[in-house]
Amino acid sequence: MGMLPFAILLVAAIVGYMINLQSARAIRAGGTRLHSLSGFHGMFSALLVIVPVLTFVLLWLGFETAVIERLMFASLPSGTLDGLGSGEVQLIGAEIRSIAGGRVFGTPEDWKLAAAERLLAYEAWSDWLLIAAVAALSVALMLFARSRVAPEYRARQQVEKITTGLMIFCATVAIFTTIGIVFALTYETFKFFQMVSITEFLFGTSWEPQIPIREDQIAAEGAFGAVPVFLGTIVIATIALTVAVPVGLLTAIYLNEFAPQAVRSVVKPILEILAGVPTVVYGFFAILVVAPAIRELGVTLGLDVASNTALAAGGVMGVMLIPFISSFADDALSAVPQSLRDGALALGATRGEMMMNVLFPAAIPGIVGGVLLAVSRAIGETMIVVMAAGLIARMTINPLDSVTAVTVQIVTLLIGDTSFDSPKTLAAFALGMMLFIATLVINVFALRIVRKYREIYD
Amino acid sequence: MSDTTPEYSGAGHHGGTMDIVRKGLAKRKRKQAILQGIGIAAIGFSLTVLFILLASLVSTGYHAFTQTHVEIEVFVDPEEISEENLPRGGFRNVLSNSLGQYFPESDMSDRAEARVLSSILSNGAQFKLRDMLVEDPSLIGQTISLTVPTSDPYDQLNKGLIDRATPEEFRRLKDEEIENFDTLSELGLVSKPFNAGLLTNADSRFPELAGLKGALVGSFWALLTCFLISFPLGIGAAIYLEEFAPKNKVSDFIEVNINNLAAVPSVVFGLLALAVFIGWFGMPRSAPFVGGLALALMTMPTIIIATRAALKAVPPSIREAALGVGASKHQVVFQHVLPLAMPGILTGTIIGLAQALGETAPLLLIGMNAFITSAASSPFDSATALPTQIFIWADSPERGFVSRTSAAILVLLTFLITMNALAIFLRSKFERKW
Amino acid sequence: MYDNLKAESALETKDIKFSAKKVQVFYGDTQAIKDVDVDIEDKTVTAFIGPSGCGKSTFLRCLNRMNDTIDICRVEGDILLDGEDIYDKAVDAVQLRAKVGMVFQKPNPFPKSIYDNVAYGPRIHGLARTKADLDEIVEKSLRRAALWDEAKDRLDTPGTGLSGGQQQRLCIARAVATEPEVLLMDEPCSALDPIATAQVEELIDELRSQYSVVIVTHSMQQAARVSQKTAFFHLGNLVEFGETDKIFTNPEDERTESYITGRIG
Repeated sequence: MGMLPFAILLVAAIVGYMINLQSARAIRAGGTRLHSLSGFHGMFSALLVIVPVLTFVLLWLGFETAVIERLMFASLPSGTLDGLGSGEVQLIGAEIRSIAGGRVFGTPEDWKLAAAERLLAYEAWSDWLLIAAVAALSVALMLFARSRVAPEYRARQQVEKITTGLMIFCATVAIFTTIGIVFALTYETFKFFQMVSITEFLFGTSWEPQIPIREDQIAAEGAFGAVPVFLGTIVIATIALTVAVPVGLLTAIYLNEFAPQAVRSVVKPILEILAGVPTVVYGFFAILVVAPAIRELGVTLGLDVASNTALAAGGVMGVMLIPFISSFADDALSAVPQSLRDGALALGATRGEMMMNVLFPAAIPGIVGGVLLAVSRAIGETMIVVMAAGLIARMTINPLDSVTAVTVQIVTLLIGDTSFDSPKTLAAFALGMMLFIATLVINVFALRIVRKYREIYD
Repeated sequence: MSDTTPEYSGAGHHGGTMDIVRKGLAKRKRKQAILQGIGIAAIGFSLTVLFILLASLVSTGYHAFTQTHVEIEVFVDPEEISEENLPRGGFRNVLSNSLGQYFPESDMSDRAEARVLSSILSNGAQFKLRDMLVEDPSLIGQTISLTVPTSDPYDQLNKGLIDRATPEEFRRLKDEEIENFDTLSELGLVSKPFNAGLLTNADSRFPELAGLKGALVGSFWALLTCFLISFPLGIGAAIYLEEFAPKNKVSDFIEVNINNLAAVPSVVFGLLALAVFIGWFGMPRSAPFVGGLALALMTMPTIIIATRAALKAVPPSIREAALGVGASKHQVVFQHVLPLAMPGILTGTIIGLAQALGETAPLLLIGMNAFITSAASSPFDSATALPTQIFIWADSPERGFVSRTSAAILVLLTFLITMNALAIFLRSKFERKW
Repeated sequence: MYDNLKAESALETKDIKFSAKKVQVFYGDTQAIKDVDVDIEDKTVTAFIGPSGCGKSTFLRCLNRMNDTIDICRVEGDILLDGEDIYDKAVDAVQLRAKVGMVFQKPNPFPKSIYDNVAYGPRIHGLARTKADLDEIVEKSLRRAALWDEAKDRLDTPGTGLSGGQQQRLCIARAVATEPEVLLMDEPCSALDPIATAQVEELIDELRSQYSVVIVTHSMQQAARVSQKTAFFHLGNLVEFGETDKIFTNPEDERTESYITGRIG
């Protein structure tokens, strides 16, 4: 049933194509010269059917659920929902839906059963309406396309106009995605700030969102001061970069200038493997190997080490970032023109001196851009910290202590049941907003530097 | 040493310069050697970590590719199980009684003792027996031979992961339980075949029964959705931007946008999917389709960037040649440039999909970490995916899940390596030097 | 004092600086230079001319072992600098290049200040003991490259901010700052406009008083203007080598004549 509208659409497109192709061929067989090839007349029909009807179907399916639900609530006996909060109304809706789906628990009231039946009826209606509409629209468009087949009709230009339009649509999806992100985050964050004051969120030092919040004291009990969460992210990212930046840069320096071809051809793919390892794997590696190793080392040294240290999470994240930084730095070093290398060598510089005095300084802008992108990755990285860092927000910068991070809180707040009106859920979006803003600023800045740098030597 | 007088007046003084150069040379070479040395150390660090990573995964993961089974003769007692009551019946009792025959001195009427004995068998054994009997009720009253998985602790014992030398109070199996197992072992009833269940079972609370089928199917649906959406959208966008778009502020803005989108943290895409697709459009939670949508939005920038690079690599002479014989701009692009750029586009797409396959955070946020014991039959059913399954198992307290997690990671890495190898193959096979 | 030196050098018979015997250069399997024998004199401008791809630049880059940076490049035969084989194992390329400076086709100042550009060579080789020494070397080198007057007030500004001709003179200053004995120039004017070219050519003529200068050029007028000796390369062979005047007016080899009269090239 669900696929039927699409099947009708597909058939209509093919039929339309064939009809227009045949009639155009018939005109040509009659000795008249066509402006456009017959194939374009066929394509014109197919596109004319597919584009509007597919849009129609997708819009229909997108709004179907919401419209039917509204109809169903409207059909309830008047007064049923009076005085109920939005959460309770949602629960009733869910119950009616599950009854309609055949999952009946206990003995629901009669009006719920009736509503479920109406819901099913509306759904059936909706399905048939959609099919009828798709069929009617397709045929109408097909006939319209057929009526345009004529020797002088510029079918090719029309087809090209439609494809250009489609391509422009594709290109704007990226913009719509960004708008979607910004809008979704802003909307939920705004709701959050209606419950929790923005100053508490930005400057508060106590983060305890897991405390159950009773109906009558919304957010009064949970503490949403995000400073320790931000601090945790900063601590972990700093550890990660302390590992990744020196190792990554030295790797790039060695590979770019000193490594024999054979070494390069082995090491570069291995680094690519390291870069391609999913972060969930690094997370497991952190809890399986690195965290126990650090703890054991700490015990032998007589140090007080938490079980999920910032050091383990940050260190493993650093390993993840090494190939990222080294490939950026390698590219930046390679972009320095050969003439500068020659110039330094011709003055009698050793290759080491050439690298450190000429190439590396010349590549600094590109390298800085890459390091900034790595910073943005480090603060946005999720799985490693979710698995290896802690859940409790602490105001500490001790790498041997357990800290939490922004992304950890986003995930833990949203795992499990989410309802969009509890501050616990919305807090995740507020954190997401902060994360998005921070990474966006860094990315824009980094990409600008990288771009500028490319322009210098291009 | 008149050479070093401040008057650097020319040719006559060269000897001095060369002396100074020669003197400093050894030190300078040493500095270069040190630089090279720490460079090699840096690479060595990365290689070592990669080695430890793989070694730890393989050394813990390979255990999960076999599973300890016991083969027992089961008398299907008609008193416990009758045809009318199927699929209900005393399967558990039948099994523990049958197990009792191998332990003549034990008293199966003692419930505690019976429970200790039957703990050898996996919880799944009774369901296996039930399914056999539902299929063929005529087996009731007969004695059949049944090969079933052992439960996790005994599996660990058999694989040497439980050290018999550990004092009893710190061991997961008591001396008595180990003796029981050894008895079966001496009777030759214990086997350790390849664990096909790892790939053919869905998730389970019991490690010995848990498999990746649900996750593999979920990942398949999510990746299919991701491909079907991101591939056409990505190519369309790239062609427009590279070949048709006027160079103005708007196309500049789109380009900046795409580059930024490629660097937005994946968890933000999860928030987007949760708020918009699930919250506003009412799409189902935990569905691979929604996961695929989120992954598609993430993958699209990668595909766009790769496609644009591939289009750029097609030399202008091809375009000019086609335009020269009167082809329209569209015909040039779709009939000449795009086919030539296709290998590059496919390579980029496969690499993008490989990234999407390993992506976890957005799937967690849309609920693809649910506990689901059957494989999804459509992209709209609840499901897990490979990376989220790894996350679930890594979080599970049972010891047996450690090796399952490593094994699942090895399966995931196998897929990733295959996809990347395919991409490399495509690139080397079809790459053209113009 | 300068004048003295000049007068002397004009009188004395010139020393042989570089002496190349049976030099062969290979890139992988292809031979780029075949059996080149040439003697390059001190305090003389020697021009290498020939059609593009004839091997003149390759040969020039053999003289300070810049070809070492290309993995597949292999040099056979002997090249003696002051009687010492520069491809001998005991000779260090770094040391050699301090003695044999080079200026490239495209001006390639480092993205550093003018001062740091010139001071780079003396710094890495440790030629200046004090800051005052270094200042003096920089000033002298810039003067020698006829750039001092233009640059003295902006020594801290980036060398990349100079005009093309100034950049090239900066590179010459950078090369002479290490007190080399030979200056190799690989088409130093090809990226410059005619005015800047004239300035650089004038400079080359002055440099002759102290250095042996080897210049690769594909402008025959330039060779005629600046050089005393000319070598004509064709297809990897050294076809003819002799006094510039003679090569341009009365060449012995007909290939040289064809090139000079514009029939091949």
